[in-house]
Amino acid sequence: MPISATNKNGQSLLHIDGDMTIYTAADMKSELMTHMAQPCEREIDLSEVSEMDSAGLQILILAKREAEKHGTSLRLTGHSRAVLDVLDMCNLASYFGDPVVLSCNENKGQ
Amino acid sequence: MSLDLDQALQTYIAEARELLQDMEDSLLRLESDPNDADTIGAIFRAAHTIKGSAGLFGLDPIVSFTHIVEDVLDRVRDGDVVIEPNLIAVLLESGDHMLHLVNVVAAQGEKLDADAIKREGGLRIRLQAYQDNSSEVSHAIQVEAEIPLQSSGGGLVETDNWHISLRFGQNVMRDGMDPLSFLRYLSTLGEIVSITTMFDALPIADEMDAESCYLGFEIDFKSEADKATIAGVFEFAREGSLIHILPPHSKLTEYVELIRSLPESETRLGEILVTTGALTQQELEAGLSEQQTSARPDGSTTPLGEILVEQRSVEHEVVQAALDKQTQSKDSKSKENRYIRVQADKLDELINMVGELVIAGAGVSLLAQRVSDNPLQEAASVMSGLVEEIRDGALRLRMVPIGETFNRFQRVVRDVGRELGKDIELVITGADTELDKTVVEKIGDPLMHLVRNAMDHGIESAAIRQATGKSVKGTLRLNAYHDSGSIVIEIVDDGGGLNRDRILQKARDRGLIAPNVTPPDQEIYNMIFEAGFSTAEAITNLSGRGVGMDVVKRNITALRGTVSLDSAVGQGTTVSIRLPLTLAIIDGFLVGVGKSSYIVPLDMVHECIELTENDRQAASERSYLNLRGEVLPFVMLRDHFEVEGSGARRANVVVVSCAGQKAGLVVDELMGEFQTVIKPLGKIFSTLRGISGSTILGSGEVALILDVPSLVQQAVNRESQHVSTRQVIH
Amino acid sequence: MGKAILIVDDSASVRQVVGIALKGAGYDVIEGCDGKDALTKLNGQKIHLIISDVNMPNMDGITFVKEVKKLANYKFTPIIMLTTESQEGKKQEGQAAGAKAWVVKPFQPAQMLTAVSKLILP
Repeated sequence: MPISATNKNGQSLLHIDGDMTIYTAADMKSELMTHMAQPCEREIDLSEVSEMDSAGLQILILAKREAEKHGTSLRLTGHSRAVLDVLDMCNLASYFGDPVVLSCNENKGQ
Repeated sequence: MSLDLDQALQTYIAEARELLQDMEDSLLRLESDPNDADTIGAIFRAAHTIKGSAGLFGLDPIVSFTHIVEDVLDRVRDGDVVIEPNLIAVLLESGDHMLHLVNVVAAQGEKLDADAIKREGGLRIRLQAYQDNSSEVSHAIQVEAEIPLQSSGGGLVETDNWHISLRFGQNVMRDGMDPLSFLRYLSTLGEIVSITTMFDALPIADEMDAESCYLGFEIDFKSEADKATIAGVFEFAREGSLIHILPPHSKLTEYVELIRSLPESETRLGEILVTTGALTQQELEAGLSEQQTSARPDGSTTPLGEILVEQRSVEHEVVQAALDKQTQSKDSKSKENRYIRVQADKLDELINMVGELVIAGAGVSLLAQRVSDNPLQEAASVMSGLVEEIRDGALRLRMVPIGETFNRFQRVVRDVGRELGKDIELVITGADTELDKTVVEKIGDPLMHLVRNAMDHGIESAAIRQATGKSVKGTLRLNAYHDSGSIVIEIVDDGGGLNRDRILQKARDRGLIAPNVTPPDQEIYNMIFEAGFSTAEAITNLSGRGVGMDVVKRNITALRGTVSLDSAVGQGTTVSIRLPLTLAIIDGFLVGVGKSSYIVPLDMVHECIELTENDRQAASERSYLNLRGEVLPFVMLRDHFEVEGSGARRANVVVVSCAGQKAGLVVDELMGEFQTVIKPLGKIFSTLRGISGSTILGSGEVALILDVPSLVQQAVNRESQHVSTRQVIH
Repeated sequence: MGKAILIVDDSASVRQVVGIALKGAGYDVIEGCDGKDALTKLNGQKIHLIISDVNMPNMDGITFVKEVKKLANYKFTPIIMLTTESQEGKKQEGQAAGAKAWVVKPFQPAQMLTAVSKLILP
């Protein structure tokens, strides 16, 4: 499964691996929503997201909005190059409000 | 032009020529079956491809003319224009002109000369009669509808940025369009000054379809690009989407209109526009307070997307019906043809190399035999078996069916028939018969000559045919088949036949036949292949029959082929051309005379017999042997080639047959089969009779390849002379 | 490694020229000579865009698009149809089948490159 979950100090840590595209969006959505139903703090690690398109972006937006609705927090971490490009282009970094850290390697890529 | 593109252009030229040939064949087929949808489809596709590819290379003269042809063909395909003889004639001529265009414009990179331009003008006018003139009108209307924007009233806004407002249709992502891709491309045209991603339309989780698109964008964009270019960025996503593009300094009313037409609330949109700097606060307030219902002056400011959506919904059913129909006819067309296009040079090179391999292989076998090492001999024999297969495979690569060459004559027969006022039908049989491409290329001219002759002088006029009780329609038949390592091509007409007596008379007059000798009919007929033999009066109603026949014969002989003719008065004439399948490699039979080696093409070898002492005695007196009661003319190779040294103790006879005649070749030694790579003889040897080429043996020695047909002919002639002289004496 | 584009056209010269233009821009190019042949190229390898002619022997472009739309791994691949002006109907058939982008034949290589860039950048 592209999403793996671990629990740490009552905090749920989700790890997304692979493409977040229209081909994976439907599965990704249902899986992510199952996790979102639990009322706890959570973090999504995006460091292994290799490709992201509009469908993938919508899933992230949906997750963020669901979290807000449940009054829990959602943090995105480790944004891969693919994710950053999309958030940058859509001017959405501030919407998600997560600190974005670029590694040296990823920086060189652009 | 880059090297790559130049290569592509060569591909195009070859492809276009091929397509035009197909187009011509198909058009001729339509003459007999005017409603064949497959054929019509194929013709259309040919024109379509020629035009489409020409555009790629900027070959505008080809595009412009072919466009008209394609247009007419499209109408034929749709059933709006009916196939009739005049249309076929125009299309055939158009095909010729397209070929001319390809040859001149594409291949030589030149312009058409005045004649060709004039011809094209004429064709255009004739084609126009079949074109639908209303289509241009509707096209024009459509273009107009796509130019929005202008209108009056209201002040101009300050910003010098474009404002682009996008709400993508739900299906865009399913259709493979990623909105983000459009943004990426947009940013190559200028600078995205600000962008707000709108996802107000995103439903709650349960109702959200992950494959639907709910995104929108409000973009301020700084660019020198024109509106068409910017609108073009989103052209593939227009369906179902709301797309508004406001140029710099648009009118305030247009912004107001935009705000009203978007799904989000006025306040929210107003905020966005102000925050991003598209509008100032004052502009926004002034605009919104103007509460004008006349904000939409005319339909022209309706968003592009909406126009398109409306059009789609109307036409959908019509389109679906047409689609179903198309699919049906296309499916039936399914014909397997998978080809790799290979340059002929590469094949020639391969065949050359195989030739060298055959020679080298023979060398190995020879050495293996000499050292009498059994395992080595075995290995060598396995290898030569494989080499043989490779040789056959390589040669087969260059084999093409003769049908293509035959089909070209459909047009010739049709055109010449019209010219002569004769109704002649061409019947093609054996079109699948294959032969070497190099032979095919060279056989076209002689065939053309023979076909024209048969039509012009062989087949009688309708009046004569009727008077003699024949059907008015003449028949010309092209036939091909394989016969003992050769391909035989026949040109058969059902005309009046040759006038044997006239030819005989003429031959005697010219001293080609002794006055008191009467050769068999066949031989008389074949006199017309002699140089300068015929003149108009010579054979009366078959006047021109002989003109250039010697040239035909020479061309065919140059291909190691033979030509013969048979005729029956009142029933017609058959010309048979016999050609080797390939010009490169043959299976040979190696024979020895003295220290020299000769090769007899194996497929002509009938049998080998020993020359007994009795025979030898008898042979010295008469020029034939007794083969089980049959008269067998023969040639002593030793004498023929003046080989030094006395005859061997024992001699053998190789019985060869060619074109139904048998002859014996007397040799010293029979050395067995040998794969022979033919090396052409130099010019110096061109007058040599009885030799058609040379080859290199495994030992490195040279062996001459015997020209069996000419040797057989020689033997037969000598024998019949003997016979006739005897007749005279007695 | 660039994004992969499958070009389907029965005309070898079209494939060749489009191929040159696309490769020059940094895309990887895979060729199919008709719809049937092209389907065999959709064998699991990643293809980011398909360019297909309409009029082809064996399997025409419209049928091909419909087939692509049935393949789980390729059904969301953007498809550019090569249409002609005189074939407005064909263009709409193609769109109905799921090919929403188009380039009108005859086209110059640069026009093709523009259309492709709108859908994917190399």
